[in-house]
Amino acid sequence: MSDKPVNKGPHDLGGTAAGPIDTTDHGMKFWEKQANALRNTLTHKKILRVDELRRAAEDLGDQYYKLAYFERTTMALRTLLLEKGFITEAELKARMAEVRARFDVPAAAASPGRKDAGR
Amino acid sequence: MRPGKRAQARRERPSTYTPAPGRRFNVGDRVVIKHAFPPGHRRTPYYIRGKEGVIERICGAFPNPEEVAYGFDGEPAKVLYRVRFKQNHVWPDYKGPARDIIEMEIFEHWLVPASGRAKPARLPQRND
Repeated sequence: MSDKPVNKGPHDLGGTAAGPIDTTDHGMKFWEKQANALRNTLTHKKILRVDELRRAAEDLGDQYYKLAYFERTTMALRTLLLEKGFITEAELKARMAEVRARFDVPAAAASPGRKDAGR
Repeated sequence: MRPGKRAQARRERPSTYTPAPGRRFNVGDRVVIKHAFPPGHRRTPYYIRGKEGVIERICGAFPNPEEVAYGFDGEPAKVLYRVRFKQNHVWPDYKGPARDIIEMEIFEHWLVPASGRAKPARLPQRND
């Protein structure tokens, strides 16, 4: 099939060539643990549902595989918190600037959505 | 969380063998997965759509994740089945033994009764 399948999500890989599997343990960065904790707390309290997180991640489309796992799930979390009105885009931007300044994070530091991030 | 509370919470959830009264299919029924490609969050893998299988077990009734994904409550619950497929049917160029199978769990609204004459694959007897 040369045409792109209709409405096939980026997560739906069954039957496509997978290539070798990277089995090394990459561990978890500090922000990844924090993001995980936040996501788990919000789903445990039924503020978010795992199905909503999956949907938001699948909706990333071509971006899905450009992002690492925790970047993808954090983007999904961001989408849902904006969608449900817990935060606004402006609040998030302001808060990120504030946190960045507080920690004096270099521009190339690992952050969600940055594939060129220093690892 | 106190010790034992987690186990208790687990017991209160519907088990994977919850009887699902009012269901459309029973163990051993032959079904075809809908050959449909709707947009949105769908819990049925692309490659299995249009394929034919046999109901292996009734898993129970669960809120519809395809609705929950968009903030709805997913009610009424949908019956989830485990469906058994022959690998060489799912993958036409399958090289493994003809007896190889693949099973996956699929919600009732993705299933239509299969027509035709072929006998259903032999299945273990289960009481659901």
